[in-house]
Amino acid sequence: MSSGNKHYWKALEEKEGGPEFLKDAARDLVERGPRHFGRRDFLKAAGFTVGTAFATGCRRAPLQKAIPLLSQPEEIVPGRCLFYASTCGGCSAGCGLLAKVRDGRPIKLEGNPEHPFSNGGLCATGQASILGLYDSQRLQHPLKQGNKISRDAADREILARLASIRSQHGAVRFLTGTITSPSVLAALEEVLKSLPDARHVVYDPVSNSALLDAYAQTHGTRLLPRFHFESAGVIASFDADFLGTWISPVEYTAAYRAGRNLEERRVSYHVQFEPRMSVTGTKADQRFAVAPGDFGVLLTHLTGLVAKRAGISLNWAEPDASPVPMSFLEGLAEQLWHARGRSLVLCGSQAIEEQVLANYLNHLLGSYGTTIDLERPSLQMQGNDQDLESLVRELHAGKVHALFVYGVNPAFDLPGGDELRGVLSRVPLLVSFSQRMDETAFLAGYVLPEPHFLESWNDTEAVNGVASISQPTVHPFGETRSLLETLSAWNGKSKSGYELLRESWRARVFPRQKKESNFDAFWDRSVHDGYTEVEAAVFKTKPFDLRAVQPILRSSAALDKFALVLYPTVSMLDGRNAYNPWLHELPDPISKVTWDNYASLSPAAAKKLGVNNGDVIHLDASRTGLRTLELPAYIQPGQHDRVVGVALGYGSKLSARFAKVGPQWIDALLSVGDNGLVGQNVASYLELKNGVLHYSSTQVTLSRTGKQRELACTQIHNTLTVPEHLRPGGSGARPIVQETTLAAFLKDPQSGVEDDEEKEDLWPTDHPYTGPRWGMVIDLNACTGCSSCVIACQIENNIPVVGRDEVRRNREMHWMRIDRYYSESDHGQVDVAHQPLMCQQCENAPCETVCPVLATVHSEDGLNQQVYNRCVGTRYCANNCPYKGRRFNWFNYSHDDQLQNLVLNPDVTVRSRGVMEKCTFCVQRIQEAKIEAKRRGEKVVDGAAQTACQQSCPAHAIYFGDLNDPSSRVSKMMQNPRRYRVLEELNVRPAVGYLTVVRNRDQESKEEQHG
Amino acid sequence: MTETLNQSRLRNYLGGTFLTLVLLTALAFSLLVLVPKFNAYALPGNQRGYEPAQPIAFSHRLHAGELQVQCLYCHSGAERSRHAGIPATNVCMNCHRFVSAPLGAIRAEDDAAKKEGREPRRVVSPEIRKIYDALAINDQMKPDATKASKPIQWVKVHNLPDFVYFDHRPHVNAGVACQKCHGPVETMERVRQVEDLSMGWCVNCHRAVDRTGLDGKGNFTAASAPAAQASTPVSHRVYASIDCSTCHY
Repeated sequence: MSSGNKHYWKALEEKEGGPEFLKDAARDLVERGPRHFGRRDFLKAAGFTVGTAFATGCRRAPLQKAIPLLSQPEEIVPGRCLFYASTCGGCSAGCGLLAKVRDGRPIKLEGNPEHPFSNGGLCATGQASILGLYDSQRLQHPLKQGNKISRDAADREILARLASIRSQHGAVRFLTGTITSPSVLAALEEVLKSLPDARHVVYDPVSNSALLDAYAQTHGTRLLPRFHFESAGVIASFDADFLGTWISPVEYTAAYRAGRNLEERRVSYHVQFEPRMSVTGTKADQRFAVAPGDFGVLLTHLTGLVAKRAGISLNWAEPDASPVPMSFLEGLAEQLWHARGRSLVLCGSQAIEEQVLANYLNHLLGSYGTTIDLERPSLQMQGNDQDLESLVRELHAGKVHALFVYGVNPAFDLPGGDELRGVLSRVPLLVSFSQRMDETAFLAGYVLPEPHFLESWNDTEAVNGVASISQPTVHPFGETRSLLETLSAWNGKSKSGYELLRESWRARVFPRQKKESNFDAFWDRSVHDGYTEVEAAVFKTKPFDLRAVQPILRSSAALDKFALVLYPTVSMLDGRNAYNPWLHELPDPISKVTWDNYASLSPAAAKKLGVNNGDVIHLDASRTGLRTLELPAYIQPGQHDRVVGVALGYGSKLSARFAKVGPQWIDALLSVGDNGLVGQNVASYLELKNGVLHYSSTQVTLSRTGKQRELACTQIHNTLTVPEHLRPGGSGARPIVQETTLAAFLKDPQSGVEDDEEKEDLWPTDHPYTGPRWGMVIDLNACTGCSSCVIACQIENNIPVVGRDEVRRNREMHWMRIDRYYSESDHGQVDVAHQPLMCQQCENAPCETVCPVLATVHSEDGLNQQVYNRCVGTRYCANNCPYKGRRFNWFNYSHDDQLQNLVLNPDVTVRSRGVMEKCTFCVQRIQEAKIEAKRRGEKVVDGAAQTACQQSCPAHAIYFGDLNDPSSRVSKMMQNPRRYRVLEELNVRPAVGYLTVVRNRDQESKEEQHG
Repeated sequence: MTETLNQSRLRNYLGGTFLTLVLLTALAFSLLVLVPKFNAYALPGNQRGYEPAQPIAFSHRLHAGELQVQCLYCHSGAERSRHAGIPATNVCMNCHRFVSAPLGAIRAEDDAAKKEGREPRRVVSPEIRKIYDALAINDQMKPDATKASKPIQWVKVHNLPDFVYFDHRPHVNAGVACQKCHGPVETMERVRQVEDLSMGWCVNCHRAVDRTGLDGKGNFTAASAPAAQASTPVSHRVYASIDCSTCHY
């Protein structure tokens, strides 16, 4: 398909049109022939089936009980939901959320729209974290050597051991992830003070320690600044995936989106330099693939160019040749300088010298105080890899007598493999606070499981000056105790988390604000809102220390080997989500692979090696002591030719439970690999040296093994494009993604839209829409592909997980999918566009006309309804759907795991085998909004009915509402000149519109865009 | 020739008389096994007439009929939620803190006490004592350590299948009387299902409402009379949708 001259493809086979693609794309249509079974035999069998179904189906309904509460609180009405403000504990970013509580338990999490930095969005991890609450494999009571022990006994024994360690002046270490809770930090401080040799070591498994260290060098204080993308006019990012997984993606996405407002003609210019394709790279206006070893030289060149414009002569020696054409760097330097005060340079590298150069660039450009806030920095990442390295050394020397591990899994996410695990298991007192039996808890002498964040009281100050509360929304399930309660109990204060938090806030947070004088009122308001703004703690920084700045003259990229780049994925992060089946089945935003990690290679590198998708390759690292790695290859357009990328967070013990996650039938395959786990753990390829955790310092040689592992990749499932040789004569490619450049857009806002003339309707009065008419508009320019909408839809609508094998057979059940299209850009790079696609609720729906039992019909308010109880499973509707938006239940996917079923939404039917399902525009939410409005005698207000996807999107890319209301946002968006509809030429009249992608480029026509 | 013979041999096991015999045997077996379960063919009329015994012999005739307690006093969920709900025990206690027995029994105790020259004792009828037992309180309304509190397990009379999402709110707020669907509950000692609650029965009323008004005579509630319909916000019109997704999602 093409928009003008741009040609789009989802997979390389599609681009080349090879037979591979045809075979795979036509898999939907392939059937196995039936065994020989004559007509009369068929009728006999059918008659027998109908007869027994009739005979067995008729029974009186079973006895049902209605059991009310004994004493019902006045705010609880059975059937109504209550929303409680809380803070997400999925990662350390601390986004605000609202927990939707029904019948005494949370069933859905939504972003808190009033939260100052998450602005109502919630990422895929945050959305999916609710399933962690209902996890039957969560530890329910303290353990000693794997056996149940009472909490009092555990406390007594641990305190006794600590007392003896104290008397012997033994070393006690607390190894944790970033803790943003001021109350916990205070309690921990007290515990540490009571011990002669105790330290708190913080590390982030996906570390930004070098960034903090660089600020210590340049500004005198170790800190992580707050980045203000909304004020940035020019953004240059060096391997910082700020829209995907870097530090606080929800916050950054919302701010980035605010800085790219086409309606107000205020659009930032974003350039990305990265070794592999990341979510942020897909949104960049210009993107270059740069090997990790070349970043230093690249930054040095750019610094030189910017310094020249600033009138500073650096007198540096000539660095190696720049990996990016100098003409482009000149242009970028000019743009940065021109926008100084509104520029932003980001660096995601773990090389301190590179971070210092980035700091210097920001200093020259005057970013400090405008787009970078040093006075009120972020507290979201506090890891110190130097401390971590000394701890690891101490562990190896056997010097640590007690190690307490909280919030991290060092046995899994640190390099060192079996040796480190052996060293950990030899620590005399190893206590883990893990929620599940992960690798570290397995080695621990005592496990004191902490509760889920939805069932305990906690507080956070993730961003300086914003203190948040995390309140429980359900009674704790087991005998868990939060870290705050544990530490306080060990300090002699055995109080509940609630009391401890109140005490701590009275002492520490309440004095930092002047708005309220009564603590109880202040507390109530903070708990109600979920957060409160207080005076930020002052961070004293020194003036920029120019002595810290050193050029990097030599590139360290190997010319004969591949640089192994290890990165976190949007779904697994550092491996903490390995227990979560939703996130395993979530197609990666870039590769669309599920249930596996893989080694990604550029098309050229793959061709040279002679590998295709799924061919297992051998990665041989040059460092001694490393086990060889065998992973299936995956071809990634846009990746640097000498880079192989592998995702972190896979191969976790927590994923062993998913071996048989899908339907167990005769042809079913396991969802795990040969190692019995999902994917492989590559943490041993990290390097902890010189006080920094390195993610791309290892170099590998690759070789083929001849083995194959088919990846469950959804990228060519449900393809809307038609190969060239199959198209009707004379027709062009389908313009599914339509895009343009900023220059063209400014001249003509409708540029890029391939408009089809409105065709005549044969049945004009079929749908009068006298009342509301529901429609949706998705802004493709805002969508980053983060896939939070996919997970939100899955949770809201009880969409099942089908397992790796079924995904391979095109049977993934996501109602909403994000199609990712590549297209050619200049200088041989690829452009990427994300298109969320769901049932388009067509007015002239091709599915409605072919259903033999009228299970899918059109409603009076514009919805294409799917009636599950009527559907007999003909699947003709899915056949006819041009958007392939329908999903069929090939099996009974529901499980008997009672605990997990508590997360199901009671307002949505759980479909059984043989029933078709699809996006309903969250009709249960529309009904709720309509009925509530009727109850109050009001109109349905714009925004009262929000679909799950719309509500969850951190970029606010989805607009939904009543098209018959001229003042609604969606009506206005439908009138937007950028709006087009997919496959408009089919005259199915979809209710979903899309806004064109507008890339901030100078070329005005698509011809100019090709290199 | 040999091929045809082999094919027909194969077909024997897949079809023909062999299959017929197999199917007939299976049908007979399943009928034998399942006949004992055919204890109530409920197709015509569904559960109409269902009148189960309840754990406490609560009389709607007394409370709703004689004493004229409003339906929504106890079943307050009907106007605020999908489920009308059975009242929580604390709603019963609003009155039964004081009303512990029928009037006749209390008068009898009063007379007896006067005759014997003592203070009248508190009379608690056995049915009302069941409420106290559920709450684990004694006759003097104080917590009773010998009892264990347990919510009352009422038997649900009006059951709809799981794929039907019936919501009370639009009906109650549109002015539909409870009796229209639940029958004359205020005359029932024990609640029974009066209507068959089938989909056809629901749809008939929905179709009729827009044509002939709520009371069948063209009368809507004041705010939604036909003349006012045009200017009334859409969501407030008496508008009984017959879209499938009104109830099935």
